[in-house]
Amino acid sequence: MNPYSGAGFFEFFAILFQRLAQVCMGAPLTLATDEVQLAVLACCAIACGLIGPFLVLKRMTMFANSLSHTSLLGVVGAFLIGSSLWDGTIADISILLLGAFIAALLTAGLTETLSRLFRLQPDASIGLVFTTLFALGVICVTLFTKNAHISTEAVMGNPDALQWSDLKLSALIAFLNIGLVLFLYRRLQLASFDEPFAKAIGAPANGLRLTLFLLTSATCTGAFRAVGVLVVLALLTGPYLTARLFCHRLSHLLIWTPCIGLVACTIGVALSRSILSWTGMPLSTSGLIATFIALIFLSALFVRRRKKTRTGWTGSALPAG
Amino acid sequence: MNYFTDPILRAPTIGCILMCVAASLMGVVLLLQRRLLVGESISHAAYPGAILGILALALLGPEWEEYSFLAVLIGALGSSWLGMKAIERMERKIKIRSDAALCFTLAIFFGFGILLASWLQESLPQWASQAQVLLFGQAATLTDEHIMIYALLALGCTLFILFAFRPLQALLFDRGYSKSIGINTRSFERALFWLLLFSIVVGIRSVGVILMSGMLIAPAIAARQFSNHLKTIFLLSALIGALSGLLGNVLSVEIALRYDSLFLPTGPMIILVSATFALLSLLFSPKRGIAFRLARLASFRLRCLEENILKEIWKRREIEFAELKRHYHPILATFVLQRLIGQGWVDRKGGVLTLSDDGQTRAASIVRLHRLWELYLTEQLGWQAEKVHMSAEEMEHILTPELEERLTKLLSDPQRDPHAQPIPQKRPVL
Repeated sequence: MNPYSGAGFFEFFAILFQRLAQVCMGAPLTLATDEVQLAVLACCAIACGLIGPFLVLKRMTMFANSLSHTSLLGVVGAFLIGSSLWDGTIADISILLLGAFIAALLTAGLTETLSRLFRLQPDASIGLVFTTLFALGVICVTLFTKNAHISTEAVMGNPDALQWSDLKLSALIAFLNIGLVLFLYRRLQLASFDEPFAKAIGAPANGLRLTLFLLTSATCTGAFRAVGVLVVLALLTGPYLTARLFCHRLSHLLIWTPCIGLVACTIGVALSRSILSWTGMPLSTSGLIATFIALIFLSALFVRRRKKTRTGWTGSALPAG
Repeated sequence: MNYFTDPILRAPTIGCILMCVAASLMGVVLLLQRRLLVGESISHAAYPGAILGILALALLGPEWEEYSFLAVLIGALGSSWLGMKAIERMERKIKIRSDAALCFTLAIFFGFGILLASWLQESLPQWASQAQVLLFGQAATLTDEHIMIYALLALGCTLFILFAFRPLQALLFDRGYSKSIGINTRSFERALFWLLLFSIVVGIRSVGVILMSGMLIAPAIAARQFSNHLKTIFLLSALIGALSGLLGNVLSVEIALRYDSLFLPTGPMIILVSATFALLSLLFSPKRGIAFRLARLASFRLRCLEENILKEIWKRREIEFAELKRHYHPILATFVLQRLIGQGWVDRKGGVLTLSDDGQTRAASIVRLHRLWELYLTEQLGWQAEKVHMSAEEMEHILTPELEERLTKLLSDPQRDPHAQPIPQKRPVL
């Protein structure tokens, strides 16, 4: 029995805090569907919020777009590798991550090959690689499952199908991101703001790029069951672009961005539940999250403009990004 | 089976071809403006509008269901226009880098589309199938009305490019120049913008929102490999687009007929076919193709090796084959030696290699180039004599007979190089 069924928007939070308090008091930890959703999405938001700023700063967001598309092929590949595990559930974490890594390496390798060896302009090589690999992924899914529904789900995300294993995967990825970003903070900062200098003092620029590729790919894989391959991009870029409007230090941005993502995800889950309770309509949680991120961005823009006209504050000293 | 006359297959086939032609023409424009990924954002931004169109039709006039494609078209046009405006504003007003603006816009619009789609699914389930089609496209259910629109669109794109070719060319290659010679760049860009929106929005029905941008990219890339002339690129791109539309459609139908219940979606098939074309032309196009480039490089390296070995034998009069193998890669050395013997430049007696008369001439001419270049560097460019050897090692393979003649004249037919070695005299090469 789901304790959240029939809950409205504020009741949702009331029940959530009540249950949290109970767990703190020593009640056994059992997660309801909504809580699994919330936890997975929170992990996604944190993971995305930590690498999103670096992707935007290094102008790699369209590359992230490409990685998120090709993670579909990675997951299909993972199925083929571990076809013995095929029973309709996406369970084994290591195999999924392996598939994502292979897809990421394939995408990165092909894109770089196209632009360096074949001398194709960068936008063309990114576009060619990811559309081809994604088409291949869709066709593979249709071939091996005889069911195009799965690829629709991969694009849209389906938070209702999330399970304990998804939570493990996304928590792992979130911790991976937190650990690596903390560990590599100086180098990432240097490489995003002054790459020539970073190279000059001997920071491994290609290694950092590859790390970012792999983290992005892992993040997209962790998120694609929850929000789909495209709304991940909203979580990667949206919170950072919003935070950037009123905050200009990278260290602060790295706190603000995951927080905004977290708020958007929490409200998305709560709204989805309350709309279900009010109208009986299960709306797409990932859609709600994306829409809410857009709303946060727009209101931040509005607030900034009011502030600007009232105080003459000129806002960003950052040139772009 | 005839794909052009069969009443069921006719519409998808012709529809796909026309749609692909229009998209690949616009793709060339984007390729040259280096904005190919804009197509990705536009096609995703069209999704919520298309669903709103279905919603509006379902709520306002459900009796006009057969015109739903028009509602989809209008809605999609509206929202992709909005998406483009949003990207523009983000870039200009709040200085967001263009890739981040593209990515953010496409994710937000698509997310909103997902929200609307889930609402449609729940509240008006009988209309939901129309929304699902938009994701990956469904060419099989195209009708003759669609063809009319696609034909108009393809015709529009072609006519625009035909009649405005000159100014378009100027605009694509040098915007500032075309402005200065009085071309109205603003209205041209606006016209291109609308054609682009139309071609993407219309293609969504058969290829789907997610993969539509691939239809713009691949044919243009393929065509670009073959030519440097804008006209040829446009023509080729349209041709490749049309072929991929046809082949993708035919493949999808044939596979469904051969293996029942294996319905490979047409949109991804078309994308795969056009990507195959792009890949093949990247590999094998005569001028830019990687295969020919690598072959040219390999043949140059081989010639250098041949000439170096000839030179080596010339300097020592004769050389042990075993020693040659120690100096160079043994397999390569054997291969090159076979060629040299085949050409009659080298004689092999036992393990000892000597030059034939022709070989002597050939080797002497290489050494002559080497020493001429050394002399040129020291006498004319003031290099020190001990530094010129490395440069001459490279130049001896590159200098042409004309250059040799000029050098001889410039240095007034010298006899000795900077290291006091004799420069072999020019003899006619047989």
